[in-house]
Amino acid sequence: MTGDVGVLASGGCHIFSGCGFPAPGLQDFEWKPFFTIGSFSFTKPMLLAILAALVVIVFFWMAFRSPKLVPRGMQNLGELAILAVRDQILRPSLGRKGDSYLPLLVSLFFFIYIMNVMELIPLLQFPVTSRIGFVWPLVFIVYFLYLYLGVKNQGAWGYLRNMIPPGVPAPIYIILVPVELLRFFVFQPFTLGVRLFGNMFAGHLLLTIFTLASWYLLSLSVGLVYAAGSFALAIFVFLLETLVTLLQAFIFTTLTATYIASSVEPAH
Amino acid sequence: MSSGNDASTQAQKRAAAEGRAQGLDIGWTVFSYLLAGMAAYGAIGWLIGRAVHVSLLFPIGMLVGLAISLGFIIYRYGRVGPGRGGLGRGGLGGTASPQDRGVTGGSSPRGRQGDER
Repeated sequence: MTGDVGVLASGGCHIFSGCGFPAPGLQDFEWKPFFTIGSFSFTKPMLLAILAALVVIVFFWMAFRSPKLVPRGMQNLGELAILAVRDQILRPSLGRKGDSYLPLLVSLFFFIYIMNVMELIPLLQFPVTSRIGFVWPLVFIVYFLYLYLGVKNQGAWGYLRNMIPPGVPAPIYIILVPVELLRFFVFQPFTLGVRLFGNMFAGHLLLTIFTLASWYLLSLSVGLVYAAGSFALAIFVFLLETLVTLLQAFIFTTLTATYIASSVEPAH
Repeated sequence: MSSGNDASTQAQKRAAAEGRAQGLDIGWTVFSYLLAGMAAYGAIGWLIGRAVHVSLLFPIGMLVGLAISLGFIIYRYGRVGPGRGGLGRGGLGGTASPQDRGVTGGSSPRGRQGDER
């Protein structure tokens, strides 16, 4: 982490010592590269993303490298994870016939969840998804998948036509066309990505603010009371974030499933 | 606990999960409609405003778009009951048949109450 956090951690920058609070901000999401090759810089979020992918791959590989009929150990855990995604995310939207999308949804869910939860793990302490560049590729995978499925199952024209509910009077139909096109092609993927990014970004910022403030306010004066208050809030935000990390992964995957469902379902 | 009870709990859980997925989807679809309405008609208003040199047409277009979105949201979702609309079969989110959408005809959209499954 750069700038003010380092200054604050290393020195005695506390309240009443003539040192202003170095408020966290966008600069806390910028990282000094570990190394640079040409114009490419390898930074901490990239390392964490690779780590997240490895965690997911290794976990499921360990669980199912030699599957037994009666699961033991890691396989138990792996089956629990897969069944949770199937019963809570896939089946409610896609039903039984959507089971072929289970590998996609399971890997999407756990990849996003691990990237999110890195916010809360000491030393890692950074949610990869709070850099929007890591979110868009996931969104594009989902976006092109459901566009492809929609065109494949309903035909390009049928897919477009089905966006607007039939039975709408003709003048209203014409009025709705620009709204519907923009919603479907722009705002649906946009909200999918921004929701995940925004939640993780805000969560990380809140955690940074309250932990920094706890340290900054710490002094042998009335500041001690403020520091205690700030620390209590930091704990509260931490607990909230344990929920948010899971919830955001869940929402992203659930919406993916519903988008796939609306593409797969052919017109009647 | 008897097995019959287990089965009904399972069904309840499944219904709850379906309701949750449907709620999430509708919530975000409605939000997207509001944004899309404002953006689409804001852009149209801006273009016309540029052509005829009336800059006020841009905000007016956005308001018109918002009104259209709101009206359509009420038309499409405002009267859907709390029952399961059948998202798994295409549902309310995107592309589906008139029955699944719960909008059977412009003249009497209430007539679809019977097809709630």
